[in-house]
Amino acid sequence: MDSLILFLIGILSIGAIYTILCLALNLEAGVDGLWDLGIVSFFGIGAYTYVLLTAAPAEHHQSYVLGLELPIWIGVLGAAVMGGLAALLIGAPSLRLKREYFLITTLAFAEVIRQIYSNELWLTNGVAGIYGLAPPFSEALSPDARHVTIFALLILAVAIVYWLVRACTASPFGRSLKALRENEPLAMTAGINPFALHIRVFVLAGAFAGVAGAFYVWYNTLIVPGQFVADVTFFVWTALIIGGIGNNVGALLGGFLFIILHDALRFLPLSNDMAEVISSVRTALIGVILILVLRWRPEGIVRERPVTIPVRR
Amino acid sequence: MLEAHDIHHSFGGVKAVDGVSLSVPPGRIVGLIGTNGAGKTTLFNVVSGYLRAGSGRVTYNGEDIQGEPPHRIARRGIVRTFQTPTGFPRMTVLENMLVFARGQEPSVVRALTRRREAGAISPDLSDRAQEILALFGLAGKRDVWAQDLGAPELKMLEFARTTMAKPHYLLLDEPAAGVNVALLDKLTEAIFRLRDEGVTFLIVDHNLGFICRVCEFIYAMADGRVICEGDPDQVVNDPGVIDCYIGSASGDR
Repeated sequence: MDSLILFLIGILSIGAIYTILCLALNLEAGVDGLWDLGIVSFFGIGAYTYVLLTAAPAEHHQSYVLGLELPIWIGVLGAAVMGGLAALLIGAPSLRLKREYFLITTLAFAEVIRQIYSNELWLTNGVAGIYGLAPPFSEALSPDARHVTIFALLILAVAIVYWLVRACTASPFGRSLKALRENEPLAMTAGINPFALHIRVFVLAGAFAGVAGAFYVWYNTLIVPGQFVADVTFFVWTALIIGGIGNNVGALLGGFLFIILHDALRFLPLSNDMAEVISSVRTALIGVILILVLRWRPEGIVRERPVTIPVRR
Repeated sequence: MLEAHDIHHSFGGVKAVDGVSLSVPPGRIVGLIGTNGAGKTTLFNVVSGYLRAGSGRVTYNGEDIQGEPPHRIARRGIVRTFQTPTGFPRMTVLENMLVFARGQEPSVVRALTRRREAGAISPDLSDRAQEILALFGLAGKRDVWAQDLGAPELKMLEFARTTMAKPHYLLLDEPAAGVNVALLDKLTEAIFRLRDEGVTFLIVDHNLGFICRVCEFIYAMADGRVICEGDPDQVVNDPGVIDCYIGSASGDR
C-alpha cells in the first residue's frame, strides 16, 4: 500500500485516540465544570491494564504481573473498568475540594501514578517498559490490512464514544452537570447533589480515557511510563480548547486537528539534526495556534451554542 | 412550619447571629429586615442549609433539618434565591426552567439506555414551562441563553424558575435589591400570586417599604439579634427599628 496513505492512517489513528480523550475531557470539564489536570492517569491505567490482561506472561529479563493472554475485547473492557475505578478512588477525596484545589490534586495524583509505573518493577517492569506486544490481528492479517482494520475500529470507537457523550449531554443528567458548571449554589437549591453528579461524570470520563489507553497500546505495541507524562493532559486540554470546549463537535474536531498540526511536520524530509530541532518547534507551533485561538476565537473553533430541546410526541 | 430555634453563629470573633428564633407558618409571607451586617443573610444561609450554625436548631414540620445539605432541604420543597439573579448564564431560559422542574432525574443509565426519550421533554413539561414563562413575560426568550437577558428579565426568570420547582417554602434573598419601581410592582404581584397558589414566603430585604407592603409578619434584626417582631405597623413604629433606619433615636433633635 502507498506509504503516504499508511502514514495518514497512522496519524488519523492517533488522532482518533486523542479525540476519545477530548470527548471524555469535554464531558467532565466542558459540560460539567471539573478542571481535571490528571486525565492522563486514566489513560495510563487503561493502557497498563490492557497490557497486563492481554500480553504473554513475563519472561527472561522482564518482570510484570498477570500476562493473562486474554482476548483483546476483554482487555479493552478491563481498561474501561480500571479507568473508571481509578477515577472513583481519585475522585472520592478530590471532588470534595473546590475547583483550584481539585485541579492541583488531580495533577498530583497523575504524577504519583506515573511514579508507580516507573518504580514498581514487579508490576510494570519499571522505566524499561514492556516491549514487543503483538498488535491485534497480527496473525490473521497482513501488516497493511491490520493498520486499516485498526484504523476502522478506532473510528468506530470514536463514533460510539461521541454518541454516548452526546446522549449524556442532552439528557437531564447533562443539564444538571451544566447547571453545576454555571452556578453550583443555585443548582443545589434546585435539588442537585453536586458530589453525586461530579463523581459519576468523573468515573465515566475515566472509563472512556481508559479505553483510549488500550487503543494507544495497539498503536504503539509497547508501553513505557514516559508515554503517560503530564504533557498528554495538556495536549488534550489544548486540543479541546482549540476545537471548542463545551461542544462535543468541537471536541471531535479538536482531537484530530491537534494531531494533524502536531504531526504534519513529519512530512518534511530533514536531516537527523534538523529533525530534532523541528520536533521541538512543533510544540511551539501548537502553542502559537493556541494563543491565536484564545485571542481571536476564545470559545474555540466550534463554540458552545444555545440548545433547542425537542418535545416528545 | 419552618422554624429556627436559638441560632448562634460567629465568624471568627464576630457574632453574626446571636440567639435568634423565628417561625414561618404555612401560607404566610414573613419578612426579615435589618441593616447591612445585622445578620440577616447569615440566618438565611443557616435556614437554607448553606451554612451550618454554631448552635441552635432548624426544624421543618417538627423535623430537625439543621446540618442537612442544601440539595436535600431543596428536595423537601424549601427553595431559595440569591442576591444576584444570574441564573445559569450559558444555559437557555428553558434549560434554566427545566433544572428546577421536579421529576427530571439526572440518571446516567437512563441517559445512555433511553437516549431518545432522555434527550427530549414531555409535552406537559414543555407546556407548563411555556405557561410560566408567558406569565413572567419571557415567552419569546425560551431558547436564548440567560446571559443574553437584561437585568429585569433575569429577575423575572428567577421567579419563573422557582415557580417551576413548585416549592412549599420560598426563601427570597433581597428580591428588591437594584430593582426599579415598575419591576418591583411586578415582583410583588408575582409573590402574591404564588402565595395564592399555596407557597409560603420568607423574604429578607432592607427595603422597609417593600417588606411592609408585602409581608404579614416581620422580624427586624440588628447586631445579630431580633429587636422587634410583629405586623408591619408595629415594626415601623418600633423605636429600635426607627433608630436603626433613621440613624438616631426619636426626640434627639
